[in-house]
Amino acid sequence: MSDGRDESFRRLYAEHFDAVLGFAVRRTDRTEDAADVTADTFLVAWRRLAHVPAGVETRPWLYGVARRVLANHRRGDRRRTHLGQRLRRELAAALPDVSDEVVQRADVTAAMQRLSARDQEVLELHLWEGLEPREIAEVLGLTTVVVRPRLSRARARLRDLLGNDPEPPGHHPSRHPQLARKEQP
Amino acid sequence: MNPKITDEALADLPLHHGRADLLEEIMRTPTLDDRPIRAERPRRRTTWLVPVAAASVVAALAVGSAWWATGGSGGDGADSGVASQPTGADVRDRVVLDAPGWVVAAAYADGQSGEMTYEKGRDRFDVSWYPADQYDSYVEDRRHVVEPPADGEPVTVLELGAQMWAYSATDHTAIREVEGGRWFELRGSGMDEAGYRALLTSLRFVDQAEFDALLPGSFVTGSERSATIDEILDGIADVAHPLLPAGVARSSIDSDQSDDYQLGAEVAGAVACAWLDEYADATRAGDERRAQRAAGVLTSAQDWPVLDDMNARGDYPEVIWEYADQVVAGKVPEGYAGGLGCDR
Repeated sequence: MSDGRDESFRRLYAEHFDAVLGFAVRRTDRTEDAADVTADTFLVAWRRLAHVPAGVETRPWLYGVARRVLANHRRGDRRRTHLGQRLRRELAAALPDVSDEVVQRADVTAAMQRLSARDQEVLELHLWEGLEPREIAEVLGLTTVVVRPRLSRARARLRDLLGNDPEPPGHHPSRHPQLARKEQP
Repeated sequence: MNPKITDEALADLPLHHGRADLLEEIMRTPTLDDRPIRAERPRRRTTWLVPVAAASVVAALAVGSAWWATGGSGGDGADSGVASQPTGADVRDRVVLDAPGWVVAAAYADGQSGEMTYEKGRDRFDVSWYPADQYDSYVEDRRHVVEPPADGEPVTVLELGAQMWAYSATDHTAIREVEGGRWFELRGSGMDEAGYRALLTSLRFVDQAEFDALLPGSFVTGSERSATIDEILDGIADVAHPLLPAGVARSSIDSDQSDDYQLGAEVAGAVACAWLDEYADATRAGDERRAQRAAGVLTSAQDWPVLDDMNARGDYPEVIWEYADQVVAGKVPEGYAGGLGCDR
């Protein structure tokens, strides 16, 4: 039984590690915070593995957890665990060398910072994580009916600021295993 | 600030040791899954609510084909909007997908918009409705489904013009023109374009009674909503004594959510918020007895039946329990109002 559990978690970790770490890196100022958010997110998944939805619903669920962990970090509740020390070090060494392969141009980042926090978050999930409204709803704990117009308005505002409509650049949805298709809570 | 690096670029970074170490460290920690969860209880069937208010929106959005055929907007030529449209149990004003093998899988509605999801095997068809003022922004958004952005292919849906776009060869959407102050979006996934077009012709109007009859047994109608809220509060009251702090009326707790998870979150959240407020106030006032009573009630959240029901489907219960733990530890949880949506 526990072998099956271990195997399930190893598979989940392997499939979603890059996505969760990416989610965290793109939303934190310091590499150590990104490593901490990643560690705490997977710790939650490990402890609550029976509750992790399967298939295409896994990743939005993990993003939802990561988002709450991140909010806790921002509120000052840092490092509930001391896991991932080595990841912190490696990430701190490796990340500064990355100057290309970014999900969006600097002008888009600047324009997004002029939007409300709510609009920014919805757009980030769309542009950075390549999520559809129904997946964004999943991450935010909202309904699709709420998210769709919000995303639409946020995109329109960004378009107004930029003069064009950025799509998720440099991001390859094919690497996301069939994200999508969940509606409810 | 960290770069907005892609997942793909991250995957190529030399993080192998850190990644592997973290996995092993996590798997050495104890798990919580031994705690009894809903899997060990007979799971109550998911209850989807279609509130009365939502039903009237459905009524408004798609006043039946017969009504449209007679000119619709009441003779004054203006868009009559929701309020002046004919309503009543015998008006064929609901839209359903009537095709073999398709069943309702989920429903959502609020005061302005809603969505019904149908499934057949792995295929899916969503009927969504929205108020007229959102039409332009949605059409503009969908124009960007294709590159370069373009109007959708003209199609007819329920005798009215619509635009259709393809997200992929097996994922299409169509936005139907505004009628009676509302418009529909119809999205089909899993079937090819011919299959999708066939489904568009399988939409039809029904009256309230037929609409309700088509809902599976897991749906309850809006008239049962207040009873559901009562049931949730009664369940909490069985273990939380008292249910609410002095000055907070039970009747003040309400929700217009249309699915049971969201409804549960709002109702349980309202109770938790009331006690967290009470605890914060008592702590500020130095009233130890009041604070202890609030902490005691919050501790009972571990046994609130609604949270147990919700636990397998989301993390809202975890948030309440975490705040309760902080209170027990003598701390007013920072940011709890935002975390629980107390200020909604």
